[in-house]
Amino acid sequence: MKTIYEISKSGLRACTLRKVDVPQYSFKKGLLGEKPNLPEVSESMLVRHYTALSKRAFGVDDGPYPLGSCTMKYNPKLDEYAASLPGFTNIHPLQRSDKSQGALAVISTLSAYLLEISGMDAISLQPCAGAHGEYTGLQLIRQYFLMRGDKKRTKIIVPDSAHGTNPASAVMCGFEVVSIPSDAKNGVNMEELKKALGNDVAGMMLTNPNTLGLFEKNIRQIQKQVHAAGGLMYYDGANLNAIMGQARPGDMGFDVMHFNLHKTFATPHGGGGPGSGPVACKALLQDFLPNPRVVWNDRLGDYRFKYSDKSIGKVTSFYGNFGVMVRALAYIVSLGGAGLKKASEIAVLNANYLKALISENYPTPCNRHGMHEFVVSLEKLKEETGVSAMDIAKSLIDNGIHPPTMYFPLIVHEALMFEPTETEEKESLERIAEVMNELYKVAHENPDLVKAAPHSAVISRPDEVMAARKPVLRG
Amino acid sequence: MSDYLSITEKEKQEMLEKIGVQSTEEFYQDIPVRMRAKKLNLPEGKSTQETCEFMEGLSKLNKVYDTVFLGAGCYKHYIPPVVKAIIGREEFVTAYTPYQAEMSQGILQSIFEYQTMICNLTKMDVSNASHYSGATAAAEACLMCTDKAKTVLTFDNINPDTLEVLKTYLAPRGVKLIICKTKDGRANINALKKVEGVGCVFLQTPNFYGLIENAKNISKAVHEYGAKLVVSVNPISLGLLEAPGDYDADIAVGEAQPLGMDMNFGGPYLGFIAAKKDLVRKMPGRIVGETVDHDGNRAYVLTLQAREQHIRREKASSNICSNQALCALTASVYLATVGAEGLKEVATACASYAHYMATALEFVGAKIKYPTEFFHEFVTVTPGKAKRIIQALDNAGILGGWILNDDEILWCCTEVLTKEEIDNAVNIVGGVL
Repeated sequence: MKTIYEISKSGLRACTLRKVDVPQYSFKKGLLGEKPNLPEVSESMLVRHYTALSKRAFGVDDGPYPLGSCTMKYNPKLDEYAASLPGFTNIHPLQRSDKSQGALAVISTLSAYLLEISGMDAISLQPCAGAHGEYTGLQLIRQYFLMRGDKKRTKIIVPDSAHGTNPASAVMCGFEVVSIPSDAKNGVNMEELKKALGNDVAGMMLTNPNTLGLFEKNIRQIQKQVHAAGGLMYYDGANLNAIMGQARPGDMGFDVMHFNLHKTFATPHGGGGPGSGPVACKALLQDFLPNPRVVWNDRLGDYRFKYSDKSIGKVTSFYGNFGVMVRALAYIVSLGGAGLKKASEIAVLNANYLKALISENYPTPCNRHGMHEFVVSLEKLKEETGVSAMDIAKSLIDNGIHPPTMYFPLIVHEALMFEPTETEEKESLERIAEVMNELYKVAHENPDLVKAAPHSAVISRPDEVMAARKPVLRG
Repeated sequence: MSDYLSITEKEKQEMLEKIGVQSTEEFYQDIPVRMRAKKLNLPEGKSTQETCEFMEGLSKLNKVYDTVFLGAGCYKHYIPPVVKAIIGREEFVTAYTPYQAEMSQGILQSIFEYQTMICNLTKMDVSNASHYSGATAAAEACLMCTDKAKTVLTFDNINPDTLEVLKTYLAPRGVKLIICKTKDGRANINALKKVEGVGCVFLQTPNFYGLIENAKNISKAVHEYGAKLVVSVNPISLGLLEAPGDYDADIAVGEAQPLGMDMNFGGPYLGFIAAKKDLVRKMPGRIVGETVDHDGNRAYVLTLQAREQHIRREKASSNICSNQALCALTASVYLATVGAEGLKEVATACASYAHYMATALEFVGAKIKYPTEFFHEFVTVTPGKAKRIIQALDNAGILGGWILNDDEILWCCTEVLTKEEIDNAVNIVGGVL
């Protein structure tokens, strides 16, 4: 379809503005720039263009979205409504705190709830996304050792099954990454961990359940050893949706963690953000949290901002993605403690059910019950038929199902990672399974058909190599 | 309690049977018993109706001002209703990052169009898909320039939050930050000659005090020195004023909240980063490129992913994953709605109201602090009376400017104001003076 520039016609406009009722100010010629090249369209052209674009996109509201590690659960409309209230949208971040008590109450209440869910002591909602939260959390670790005058702790241990953001965030924080391989059961390899630990290690990053959807059984020993070596434990909260009300990172021995409000707490992904990645920590790190924090002043009976001298500073402007916090608060308020626990329980049930329905054709690398997500390997299928994980994924598109995460975690060959989430209905899971099992058959009978998928999408198999080699990045 | 679940008790039993377990408890058997959580100590879940009422109640504890003279990094502008109508479409709101190109052409094309508009607005070559905020965009842009020369030079007249974020981001990477004192509110580049190893100079124009910097001269000096110029701009000002590309900036960044986003108590907003094309492989975050599909049809994909964390892990140019896609969509729909002519009108209205107000405040006894050209923010001096002025305005339901100190206030005007509102506010200020 055409771009908005291609439909643009000189002289058209999609909105008009009130006439200015004071004398018009004119800048000196030397300061003025040439008119920027922006589209010129009527309002109806504009609406039809973006409506057409929206129909070439696929959201959670459109159908199943079992994208592993991304927790694509339904985004309640109630939460959208709450975030659209003028009392939240039309307030300036620098207006006096006594005129923003509702906003500060949102931050404070959500903070308290997240602390209860995680078993941590202190929190900042400032980070704007999961990776931003990782970055902030690692900065707390960095600051902790700086304050102790311990300058030799420059390394962060990251398992090879970890999300790519983990090592990247560590480097952004100035750390060196030590990647350790997983053991035969895809858990943390205790021998390798022992070898990696020393007085140069600042900490270890871990997702639990891990990216295979498996709970690290050895978590007690892992955290004990890391702590014994003087390091701190970082919890990547990407998979928190598996364990709400069942286990808390704080109780598992983690010192610092981030949440993904856009995963676990049902705020929409927006096609790639905005999210929100609050960082929570144990008391030993609390003074280092980003400035400012919101505190309740008991004597005066109001919420205030509080600044700490020891803080790592600010990680973004103002207080972060406030609008996302409003949605997450509405979500937690409506579910309550029991509702959150139930959400996790059904998320795990749904994942195990889907796994049971397809595991005959698509084996998982381990035989344990997984949690909220599971990984299948298509290595054997590929050997037999030449059909890859990518081919199966693309065929799902023809069936109105968003593909699972492909080729992740890196330790599983031809991996597809499914996370159906708790909001999917039973029939929907059965349909995904039916399509997957049918594709298994087709892969054996007519592999070329699967390899050429998708057949019904607006485009098929774009040339990514050409895109990267001869980049065309603007119209 | 609401739960958004679609599984009935009966179905649950059927599913457990198929899986071959007695209860969902069995899924949690790997969690050591000592680590099991007690019952979460949270309030009981509320009904949908009660949750609405609860959130409405909280929202009403905030004061919504009709008349706003406060800017300082967040600006109240007119948002045409069509913008919200478009960006509220669920396909945009509830989609994930467009990893699956075939299913996400709409999202990918919208980002491609956003990149095009940002390039045209800043007159730069390439843009990424977005960053968290103007402040984080500034920090990562400086990191793009400091691989070797590990010093960033900036000025004390940039947005204070941006300065704080620069400090946070640069230190762990061993990058030194030099903050030059300014005279008369504007940047003075002379200090550059006295330091070695500067990778980039970070400039904001209009700066925190609203003043338009002499970017051309600064750019020349920075390039003669051999460093790069990273400049932060207010995108609304580009409807009228020179763009970063006009004065040969290497990277243009900024806070795009003014392009159709509500004030939202500080976020979500939108950081943009646009650069010269030779810097593209150092850019943080998503970038969308045009290509063809296997039938030769035009197609869009996420590209140059060899920069990114999910491919390169510890060797990535940045750790950013989720960014601010829906905000980028908002900005592009806003820009397409107003067009270049509309953007110029908005910028002209902002400047006209601000200059009208500055003159009127002078008339009632305030002094304008800086003699140089400003865009839509300016600083007044009223010895010892800043707080009283803002309080008097507040008593009248008006949100006054940002108090810089006991004497000085930073004011902002935009197109949503009227002469009557300004006259009224100036009268109140006059009453205090």
